[in-house]
Amino acid sequence: MKTLMHFLIYLTIAGLVILLAIILGDYGTWYFAWLLGTVMLVLISAAGAALLDAQEEDEGRRRD
Amino acid sequence: MEIYLLLKVTWWILLGVLLMGLAIMVGMDMGVGTVLRWVGRTDSERRVALNIIGPHWDGNQVWFILGGGAIFAAWPIVYATAFSGLYVVMLLLLWSMIVRPLGFEYRSKLKGPRWRNAWDWSLFVSGFVPMLVFGAAIGNALQGFPFHFEWHLASFYTGSFLALFNPFAILCGLLSVALSVYMGCAMLMIRGEGELYARARGFLDRSALAALALFTLGGIWVVFLDGYQLVQGPAPGVAQTPLQQEVVRASGAWLDNFLAMPLLWLVPGLAYLGLAAGRWGALNDRPQLAWWLGALAWIGVIGTVGAAMFPFMMPSSAEPSHSLTVWNASSSEYTLMWMLGFTVVFMPLILWYTSWAFWVMRGKVSAKHVEADDHAY
Amino acid sequence: MIDPMVVELSRWQFAATALYHFLFVPLTLGLSFLLAAMETVYVTTGRTIYRDMAQFWGKLFLINFALGVATGLTMEFQFGTNWSFYSSFVGDIFGAPLAIEGLMAFFMESTFVGLMVFGWARLSKAQHLAVTYLVALASNLSAVWILVANGFMQDPQGALFNPDTMRMELASFGELIFSHDAQSKFVHTSIAGFVTAAVFVCGVSAYYMLRGRHLAIAKRSFRMAALFGVLSSAGVITLGDALGFVGAHAHPSKLVAMEGLWEYEEPPVGFNVIAIPNEEEMQNDYALRIPYLTSLLVTRSLHDPVPSADTLIERADERIRSGIEAVTALKALQDDPDDTEARARFEAHQDDLGYGFLVGFYAQDQDPALATEADIQRAARDAIPNMAIVFWSFRVMVVSGLLMLAFFTLAVIFTLRNDVHRQRAFLRFSLLMIPVPFIACEAGWLVAEVGRQPWTVYEVLPTWMSVSTHSVNHLIFSLAGFVLLYSIFIAIEMYLMVKFIRQGPTEHGHATAVAAK
Repeated sequence: MKTLMHFLIYLTIAGLVILLAIILGDYGTWYFAWLLGTVMLVLISAAGAALLDAQEEDEGRRRD
Repeated sequence: MEIYLLLKVTWWILLGVLLMGLAIMVGMDMGVGTVLRWVGRTDSERRVALNIIGPHWDGNQVWFILGGGAIFAAWPIVYATAFSGLYVVMLLLLWSMIVRPLGFEYRSKLKGPRWRNAWDWSLFVSGFVPMLVFGAAIGNALQGFPFHFEWHLASFYTGSFLALFNPFAILCGLLSVALSVYMGCAMLMIRGEGELYARARGFLDRSALAALALFTLGGIWVVFLDGYQLVQGPAPGVAQTPLQQEVVRASGAWLDNFLAMPLLWLVPGLAYLGLAAGRWGALNDRPQLAWWLGALAWIGVIGTVGAAMFPFMMPSSAEPSHSLTVWNASSSEYTLMWMLGFTVVFMPLILWYTSWAFWVMRGKVSAKHVEADDHAY
Repeated sequence: MIDPMVVELSRWQFAATALYHFLFVPLTLGLSFLLAAMETVYVTTGRTIYRDMAQFWGKLFLINFALGVATGLTMEFQFGTNWSFYSSFVGDIFGAPLAIEGLMAFFMESTFVGLMVFGWARLSKAQHLAVTYLVALASNLSAVWILVANGFMQDPQGALFNPDTMRMELASFGELIFSHDAQSKFVHTSIAGFVTAAVFVCGVSAYYMLRGRHLAIAKRSFRMAALFGVLSSAGVITLGDALGFVGAHAHPSKLVAMEGLWEYEEPPVGFNVIAIPNEEEMQNDYALRIPYLTSLLVTRSLHDPVPSADTLIERADERIRSGIEAVTALKALQDDPDDTEARARFEAHQDDLGYGFLVGFYAQDQDPALATEADIQRAARDAIPNMAIVFWSFRVMVVSGLLMLAFFTLAVIFTLRNDVHRQRAFLRFSLLMIPVPFIACEAGWLVAEVGRQPWTVYEVLPTWMSVSTHSVNHLIFSLAGFVLLYSIFIAIEMYLMVKFIRQGPTEHGHATAVAAK
């Protein structure tokens, strides 16, 4: 039941986001691009850090 | 046309609300800055005092920025005429204000007593001077500023800098300092303990008495002051420039609105109620109550000025007919409408997250706590 | 009467305080998102080293932020104090984005920055992360509104002059905020801030790696910043090109100055890589050219005409003559609003009103109606901004951008191999890179704002008319005050920054889950 509630809430949010994105994409293409690009930048740099942790753990294991 | 009239009055009220927000929130922080050196005798007490308002001063300061922005957007010619006319005063205000963020942020970053003392003094200046100027500006607005316009509405200011510090303006400035000290001390009592609490209560007591006296004196003074009367001009709801009206000066004219609408006498009543009851609350160790009553006092004081001056915003003493009023100084209907839309959406949001921030940071601040926290001011 | 010296000094004061403010802004725009990225890793993986990182860079962020806020106050005051005619003439449009900036962005940023600093112990991990993201979002939203305001000055969209209120009034809010100049400028500026922060973090991390201190934090910070930087520097270059393309059409006089194009040439037009513009002779004393390139960059074709200074001056000359008609008609309307002849004349010429104002600077009594033939020619010549400044600032910006892209490409190669801490020569180079993005940002400001001259609002309001009616003494007083205060500020800021960088992060956490065992 709780999962269903969460699912429905997130689904509604996703719907709203898509609606807003369509409007913004129509009138403010550049702003929209900035939004997507920034999210991507943050995620890639965060992923890079996680990758470094994995690399170091791997190296540490090989040294042992 | 009637919508435009309604928008003008709405924005006049909103400007008042912003000025009250500014006075209450920024004034509180500045009051702490003003009494910092006396309410806190040791470095650790001063740090506690700073950390009490530490999480909020930055957010509070935006009331000031928003006030400036709202005047610019809704009353552009008032913004332009006031800021350029009062050039030297505005720069002193600005310079004392820009030292403040640095005072908070940098003061406790280094240990030396000379370093910290220097910042304590700069916090005093950046608390005392802006509040004095704020009050003095309102005091001068009641008397009118010496400015006039050319045909294309370029403004010319013909007064001197020193004339702005006339006795009535200084009285208003001191009233504003007293109220800011009151609010600062109420906040220190809410979140402070021990000696700091006791001293803050003492300052609150004295500032409340001073504010009561100054407000009464100012009120009597206004009766003998030259006010302004709008004799004729275009209909209030029409787009117009300040060059199309006729205004005269008359002694005691600032009482006209009160005489026409006796209900308005309740507004100064709020100021008396707030100060007297707030002082009583503080002396009986109910600082929360004292804070809210202090805010009520600010609302009463600023509301009294607004009620007296309406519809004038910035009367001109050099050329009374060039005075800026609610009717001739506003932005266009379209801009006012859009701005109102944004305000209606974002103002409740601001109030909501500001109170959330205060709720998160609630509770007493102790010296031990401050010493232990790496991020503390 | 407006004293030309007051115009000159007001411009100097605005430029100096804006450039100073703009030293701190880009770092805030970018570092806030890097902080959010670091904290994201902390919250999702639970590795406390990322919290230490976020807190350490957060401390440097705040030292910078305080000065950004402080000097930003100056900017808000200055429109009123020094540019009062500008403020009342276009405040109906320009004030709105500034007020909305306070309402929507600055309030959020300032309230949550307090929680970001003081809330570590009081908020849950997810709450604190949300607060950090809100700070980052708000600081960039702030930039949106400021650049909407600036976009209006560069390319006034959605506004009309109203002769009954004697000012410009907003006609379309949508056109104002979605103007291509505002949009592209925001994207370019914000991403430039990202690049600045990335170079800063890489440089400081390189310092620790050179010293062999805080290796775990330095390597992770470097990795994150390098990836952040390589993408954003690629972005800033493409967006810069796009902004140039948008600007070239909206604002040809700036383009002409950026590219050093004095005389009209049949397309395709070559690109001046290096040139020495000579303002007196109105030609380049020396020019190294790449054929075809300007045409390709500006028109994306080989046949379309490219603007040049001489054609623009010629056009300005015509528009000034028409503008004088507009000003005299407007004055007649002001005396008698029912004068239908004057209203018709004004409506016929109102598009050139700004050009009529422009010539007032040279005319007797500053009255455009009294302008002589010589005055008109001088004013028309002014339609082209100072070419040497714009031309060279533009090249400094472009070269810095390309240099940073090259730097980040190398940085990514080294960090992905996880041996950047052994590349000592490269680390030293990273340290030297720290000033580059700041120089690029300042140069970018110069291109945009000097390139807009002689206008405050392009083709609507000339700079000389925008100033407040002060005496020179007023300006000397304020300039002296700013120089004194700002010098003290920068000294304190640099001192604290260097001190806290030397001191380094406080490490509570552990590098990896394995090491923790």
